[in-house]
Amino acid sequence: MSPRRHLALPLAAVILVGLPVFWAFPEDLAFWRSVAIVCGWLGWGLLLVSLLLMIRESWLAEWMGGLERMYRWHHRSGTLAYLVLLLHPLALSVDAWSEAPSLAWPALSPLRNSLAVQLGWASLLAMMLGLALAFSRALAYDKWRWLHLSLAAAVVLAILHLVYLGLDDWLLWVPAAAIALMLWRFLRSDSGQAAHPYVVTRVDHPAHALIEVSLRPLATAITARPGQFVLAAFADAPSWKGFGEYHPFSLSRIGKDGEIAMGIKALGDCTTRLQHVQCGFAARVQGPFGAFLADAGATPGLWVAGGIGITPFLALLRARPLTQPTRLIYLYRESADAAYIGELNEIAAGQDSLSLVALATGASDPDIERLIPDPSGLAGCDCYLCGPPGLLDSVIGILAARGVAASRIHFERFDFR
Amino acid sequence: MMRVAFTVGTGLFCVAVLLVWLFSPPPSPTIEAPQPILPASRIPLAEVSRHGQADDCWMAIEGKVYDLTPYLPLHPTKPGIIVPWCGQEASEAYRTKTRGRPHSAEAGELLEKYLIGQLAE
Repeated sequence: MSPRRHLALPLAAVILVGLPVFWAFPEDLAFWRSVAIVCGWLGWGLLLVSLLLMIRESWLAEWMGGLERMYRWHHRSGTLAYLVLLLHPLALSVDAWSEAPSLAWPALSPLRNSLAVQLGWASLLAMMLGLALAFSRALAYDKWRWLHLSLAAAVVLAILHLVYLGLDDWLLWVPAAAIALMLWRFLRSDSGQAAHPYVVTRVDHPAHALIEVSLRPLATAITARPGQFVLAAFADAPSWKGFGEYHPFSLSRIGKDGEIAMGIKALGDCTTRLQHVQCGFAARVQGPFGAFLADAGATPGLWVAGGIGITPFLALLRARPLTQPTRLIYLYRESADAAYIGELNEIAAGQDSLSLVALATGASDPDIERLIPDPSGLAGCDCYLCGPPGLLDSVIGILAARGVAASRIHFERFDFR
Repeated sequence: MMRVAFTVGTGLFCVAVLLVWLFSPPPSPTIEAPQPILPASRIPLAEVSRHGQADDCWMAIEGKVYDLTPYLPLHPTKPGIIVPWCGQEASEAYRTKTRGRPHSAEAGELLEKYLIGQLAE
């Protein structure tokens, strides 16, 4: 990752957190009251960081080091904001206690305070509920996604808390920025204003429960490179109910005429229904996102793909011949799941630099240690991994144990929860 | 890791709130006692000026007198900005707070909760 991409996110975080804390930093106040004020504005700064990092714009993701990194820090900054904001009422209570112990509970209790304080409590409780749901793995994605909106309600309540406290000076930019970021996300991403219109031109079935959908642009095409993914939504068609929500799909082909293709594996309700998509159906595409494989091919490579994780590697192999020796380990469960295996064999046969190891693992865990080269074979290699989380964790552990530096292990987890 | 931080943080917060509730003694009757002066009372400015401290803060604003003692800890600005107006006729300060702008309508509604009388001419 370039220094610019590496530094942009922490720099934006420092600015968004530092500005409100600096402006509101208390002087001549009791210690615990100062702590409460600093915690309040620190929490607000972290909330702004979290809101900024939920924006899905390809140029922003490019600046911030990728959408996956943005989402990882969106989770971290949101949780940290909540933890810091928990200290805000407690510090006010300690401040009241230092004046008189009998004032501690009245200062904290929402039942004995003004509407402003009650709104603050409501915001904190909505945040508590929203985060508890956000951390839930048991919820189906569509339910999880809607319940995640309770966190937006928490931000609105926090804004009302500030307004009813009487905040109406320069610091109003903080709630104004929060509203702007939420509107940006809703209008540009969720309602699809940032999306490009496409039409389905071809549907292939390269493996069991897997389709490859080719899309032609109806207006401006996205400019993507191999290894990237897009967020796509498919509109309703006669006799077929589409999906208005956007899901991530890796690109498997990038045509010169703007046509793109993506592999869609039936993994959930939406992707199962998408197996029946047909030519002529309308789609909307946001992106592209991701920097996976951006530097691939410059050095000898070890590529490890699990199942549908073969898609980004296929996109690169379809785009250009390899110039450096590369070993591609392709793992799938059964031979019926071996998507694109015929095409991959053909490409490997035509390129001396590509060595393909394709293996059906069956129901048992594959013996990955045996497949990974020994330390001498990994010297100077850049390792690219794409597949299920369990496979990634195993391979990363083996590579680290064999002396591969973390900077030479590249992967994207595609976990947007 | 964030899930653990959330769980631990939420648990500690709940325990802390419970502890405050359990160990904060009930307020003394003098703090909870109702104001002896009814909002219809007429209070001279000389009486207002006798309440010019942070722990005993009356203000005259637009012809009305307010006991803002319990509100001072909740005011969003620094005490150095509001406390000097305790015991004073503060209408001008109320109308022209930050950079000459007046307080909001919500602030006006909040203020009425602390009304204790009319300013005597």
